[in-house]
Amino acid sequence: MSDSIIIDTGDLRFIEGHGQLIVKSYGGKLRAEFHNLEGPRFLTKYLKGKPVDLAPRVASRICGLCYTVHSISSAEAVERALDMKISEDVRKLRDVLYMANNLRSHLIHLLFLSIPPVEGLISALRMRDLNIVRMGANILSKATELIEVWGGRSVHVPNVIVGGFGKAIKCKELLHPIHQLAALSDDAERLVKYTLKLELPEMERYRLLVALKRSGSYPIYAEEANVALSDGSVLSSSEYYEGLEEVTKDYSTSKHVYFKESEITVGALSRIMLNKRYLSSRARELAEEIEWGPNPFLNIKAQAIEVLHYLDELIRLGGELAEIPPENLKTEDIKAHRDKGVGLFVAEAPRGTLCHYCEIEDWKIKDYRVYTPTAINSKSIENDAIELVKRFKPLGSQKLRFILEDMVRSYDPCLSCAVSLDIYE
Amino acid sequence: MKLAFYSLTSCEGCLTTLITKLGPDIEGLWNNFDIDYFKLVREPVGGSRFPKADIAFVEGAVVTNLDREHLQEIRKNSRFVVAIGTCASSGNIAYTASRNVKLGKKALSVLEVREAEPLSSVIAVDFELNGCPVNADEFIDALLRLVNGLEPIQPDFSVCYECKLSGNACLLDKGQLCLGPIAMGGCDAACTSVGSPCFGCRGPYIEADLEAYFKTLEKKGLKVEDAKPLLYMFMGKKIKEVLKE
Repeated sequence: MSDSIIIDTGDLRFIEGHGQLIVKSYGGKLRAEFHNLEGPRFLTKYLKGKPVDLAPRVASRICGLCYTVHSISSAEAVERALDMKISEDVRKLRDVLYMANNLRSHLIHLLFLSIPPVEGLISALRMRDLNIVRMGANILSKATELIEVWGGRSVHVPNVIVGGFGKAIKCKELLHPIHQLAALSDDAERLVKYTLKLELPEMERYRLLVALKRSGSYPIYAEEANVALSDGSVLSSSEYYEGLEEVTKDYSTSKHVYFKESEITVGALSRIMLNKRYLSSRARELAEEIEWGPNPFLNIKAQAIEVLHYLDELIRLGGELAEIPPENLKTEDIKAHRDKGVGLFVAEAPRGTLCHYCEIEDWKIKDYRVYTPTAINSKSIENDAIELVKRFKPLGSQKLRFILEDMVRSYDPCLSCAVSLDIYE
Repeated sequence: MKLAFYSLTSCEGCLTTLITKLGPDIEGLWNNFDIDYFKLVREPVGGSRFPKADIAFVEGAVVTNLDREHLQEIRKNSRFVVAIGTCASSGNIAYTASRNVKLGKKALSVLEVREAEPLSSVIAVDFELNGCPVNADEFIDALLRLVNGLEPIQPDFSVCYECKLSGNACLLDKGQLCLGPIAMGGCDAACTSVGSPCFGCRGPYIEADLEAYFKTLEKKGLKVEDAKPLLYMFMGKKIKEVLKE
């Protein structure tokens, strides 16, 4: 029996990195292949044998969109391994950086990568209402300014280090960019409402959804984070981590990641479906207008809701920051209680649940592993592709190709992230 | 004037830096130039083929056979090629990291992975904008110069120069290894200003004197062999050429 190609998207448009989706028929059975064509940079491999303080700097380079969640997760994993205790105030400051980066990542994705093709446009700059783009780009640049003030640079911030930060930021300095963002709050709401009105294909397909869970708050990362599955089970971070398994595919530079042999989906949609009652009140109100379900296309609406939530959280944190006395923000006092150990940190990156794991011996990194959301979602992308071909094949290959591409994009895949899982072990 | 923005194997942090720095001004860029290729901003003109461009900005290192083929195609279609960021100009961390792995053991059916190289190993590069990520102000400056028929310029000073201007205390004096004295400036001493050593992501600066630097390290009680891995972290091929190793 031979393969016959039913649909080949070619180089996927409006996407971070290089990828391709192919659906084949193999003896009447459909098979999808999500190719990651981005080359490996061997970053985790590079870390082996290196001093622990290099971890957050190198991990940051995994991704140019969600770099701070990588550097924070990396620092936290090392801190856990060495039993270093970070103060609540330091963590609050990391939250600010985290939210600002998520805001930046979501806005780039919504504004430039996902809304225009859904509307059949060649670019965001061809949108009928250019004010939407202007407002979005403005919020985007203010969120980036906040990252810059906090981190010392807009991308790959040098200020996140093991033990806290390099230079204690005066909390008051952060208030200015936060106030600027707060002033754009109504604009953000318009952008979000615009996204919520988009017409998207209906394609629900059952799968297990996974997101962090902590009662009482919308998950970002938490000291004692639990991982919730949509079947109702709740796992500790380490139980979750131990259930992950990597499968190598000869057509992709990223491995696929399964949880206990089954497909799981992570990302904004999973977070909203499992935690929407903890959204900020404004975001929750808008979220209640949408009928959420395991339809991948809804992920961009979930991201839009989160834009508003993160913005509201930043404004709230801004109020708390003003109260933090500078003497609470020292990093020199934080001591490592041992020179070896194992550290695991699970966080909600913009694209979904992310794990950083390290083993340290004699202050040096012995092993380093990263499980990225895109590697986890790869299987769902393939299964959705098969389902879409089954349902929409009568539309013809041109339309089908666009729908498939929109589906891949709705996951907001980050191919650079995913490939950082080293394929040559 | 036609511009094109490409990415090879990278994190795309350089291109997103440009997008966020421009903010609403991206509209100005869009209105004043024909941007025929910029995957994060528009559908490429010409489908799967690379369009003709007056200036092509290329982010990323050459790691796969596709990177190599695409880059050669970009060169053929572009009058002026600017490498943006450390991956494109020195190979970044991947340069050293990929040389410490046994490649080719498990070949992929769709892709061939080789040791990472900067653009200049494969094609003639007209100008390099360094940094991990690229400095958006330097990009704007280079673009304006090119538009006006002027050659863009590289910073001819070290990171130490801007670090001193920022009033920071010297990390070498504190006994911390720092590549500031030999690394190319132009970053406003972003890392050292938040107390982190310089890792030389912009490569060695034009007058970098490694021998003198090593002597300085010894004088301050720091070990030269400890500095070597740092030199090879971001500077990749550039430091290999300087050290002639």
